[in-house]
Amino acid sequence: MPKKYVDRALLLFFIVMAVLLYLSTASYPGIAKTTSAYYVKFLAVFIGILSVIQLLISLAKDIDYTRLHLSEHMPRFLGLLVSLIIFGLVFEHLGFFISAGIFIPLVALILGYRNYLTIVITTVSVLVFVYLVFVKLLSVNLPGLS
Amino acid sequence: MEYLGIVFQPIALFTIFLGTVAGVAIGGMPGLTATMAVGLLVPFTYTMDPTMGLMLLGGIYCGAMYGGSIPAILLNTPGTPAAVATAIEGFPMSQKGKAGLALKVSVVASFVGGSFSVLILLMFAPMLAQQALHFGPAETFLLALMGLAGIISIADENSSLIKALIAGLLGMIIAIVGTDDMSGSLRYTMGYVELIDGVDFMPALIGLFSMIQMLELAGIRKKHEIDTSTLHKKQKSDPLPKGISKHIALGSATGTVIGVLPGEGATIAAFISYNISKRISKTKELFGKGNPEGIAAAESGNNGCVGGSLVPTLTLGIPGNSVAAALMGAFIIHGMIPGPDLFNEYADHTYPFIISLFIANLVFLGVGLTVAPYLARIALIPPAILVPVVSAFAVLGSYALNNSVFDIYLMIAFAVFGLILKKLGFSLEALILGLILGPIAEGGFTQGMIIGKGSPWIFFESPIAKVMWVIILLLLLPPLYSYFKHTTLVKAPDAD
Repeated sequence: MPKKYVDRALLLFFIVMAVLLYLSTASYPGIAKTTSAYYVKFLAVFIGILSVIQLLISLAKDIDYTRLHLSEHMPRFLGLLVSLIIFGLVFEHLGFFISAGIFIPLVALILGYRNYLTIVITTVSVLVFVYLVFVKLLSVNLPGLS
Repeated sequence: MEYLGIVFQPIALFTIFLGTVAGVAIGGMPGLTATMAVGLLVPFTYTMDPTMGLMLLGGIYCGAMYGGSIPAILLNTPGTPAAVATAIEGFPMSQKGKAGLALKVSVVASFVGGSFSVLILLMFAPMLAQQALHFGPAETFLLALMGLAGIISIADENSSLIKALIAGLLGMIIAIVGTDDMSGSLRYTMGYVELIDGVDFMPALIGLFSMIQMLELAGIRKKHEIDTSTLHKKQKSDPLPKGISKHIALGSATGTVIGVLPGEGATIAAFISYNISKRISKTKELFGKGNPEGIAAAESGNNGCVGGSLVPTLTLGIPGNSVAAALMGAFIIHGMIPGPDLFNEYADHTYPFIISLFIANLVFLGVGLTVAPYLARIALIPPAILVPVVSAFAVLGSYALNNSVFDIYLMIAFAVFGLILKKLGFSLEALILGLILGPIAEGGFTQGMIIGKGSPWIFFESPIAKVMWVIILLLLLPPLYSYFKHTTLVKAPDAD
């Protein structure tokens, strides 16, 4: 999708958000009606005005059809993103050490690295470092160790 | 003396040493920044003694700011954006076999710039913090607005001025999610119990400054070939050139002043110092071809930012830059709210922290003078190894503070949304500043409205408030004027 369209869609989203935010202050209870509600209105009005100005500036300019590229290498980008989400999902169930022990080599492979010895050494070093520094020295509570 | 005693305990010295060396190593890795490192480690300091935790982070900040110059000089690959100006002069010097001198100038300038700025912090921060005692809620709100106005200066060629302000306001809007302090009712939590206390800014910080970099690194198609020829070249180490001290002094002062301004970062400080140095140099023709004066100005400039950025952070609770914002997070999670209390009630944590920054400067001076050439090899670590390791730490850091998996998803969401915003020219620094300034602004605003019995005139009444409005206008108007002038000038040729 052209960058400009995404930009305009996002600005429209901010304008709608500003309107909804402003309207939501009507339901603020008690003292919040004359305190917090005014603050929220203040934010809503300013972000709304600025988004409208930016949208008008964008509309006044010629459309630039440059596409929005979140990444030059989408499979790797998505691979990391999906791995992160799965890492987060299994984090509490498998514990940090097992999940990180799978995550680190998996992402290295997704990113095209093929020096297996370096991958193994790095993974083991990170896990040992986390255990010694964070668990033993800093007493950070990590899932999977209790 | 009591504070010196805390700093000179063996465990404290070891912590500072560890933090600084880790900072130099992190700063030396292209793609990793001081903000990323400090942001990642803040949650882990939660279980540490607060003073030790702050010393560790302070060491990382100082070390990383210097560390970026090593691969910039030896490999033409700036470890941090703030070292780009250093690479312009440093790498040509390395190619001429003068890497030893370039590294020496860089570390000495960094040391002087860093130490000078910490001295200024130590001298002026307590005085400024005492002034903050005169601030009522109205002034606190205006202070946050001043911070927001400072966001405007963050706007650069990649992020438009209006978009920087929108990003700052967006951060402030995200900060209103959670419990309303006035009524105790929940607002905009969408039923998530994890949002009752609001959006924690640590996962946001890690997502916006650490994970985004990893997502970007992961998606780079072409590998950046690093020229390692200078690592194998015989390098001489000459004494410091005469007249270099003038450029170091200039960079130190410029960097400290720029660091104090909210929103201004080390990269800007380095470039401004470099440009001034170029203008006043007697050997202008050598700039761009390997002039040590340029390195001296740039490095003292970016390290001068360290102490400077902490002045508004510790005294007024307005972070000077994104690293200072992350450090402010460390103070907050230990229950120390920036302001006068830091220099009274929590003086036994704050002063040792500031003094530890001097030690950190000494540590990287020692590291720089002895092992800097070997540290350049850190820049050669492949991104495919760096990305999974840092990502694992990002997940761990997001989880560790509240033991919450929700925070991991919050971090990922901020990374993805932040990447889209960044690609569209919105300033992420502004977003995080807004997120931090939001609760301060809201607290000041709501209390001010109560004191003013519902009248907004409370925000214009006191002499301090009037001065602050003038400062806000002075901060806003010139950039807005030049922005619209620039927009009109750019549009005019199109019309033809």
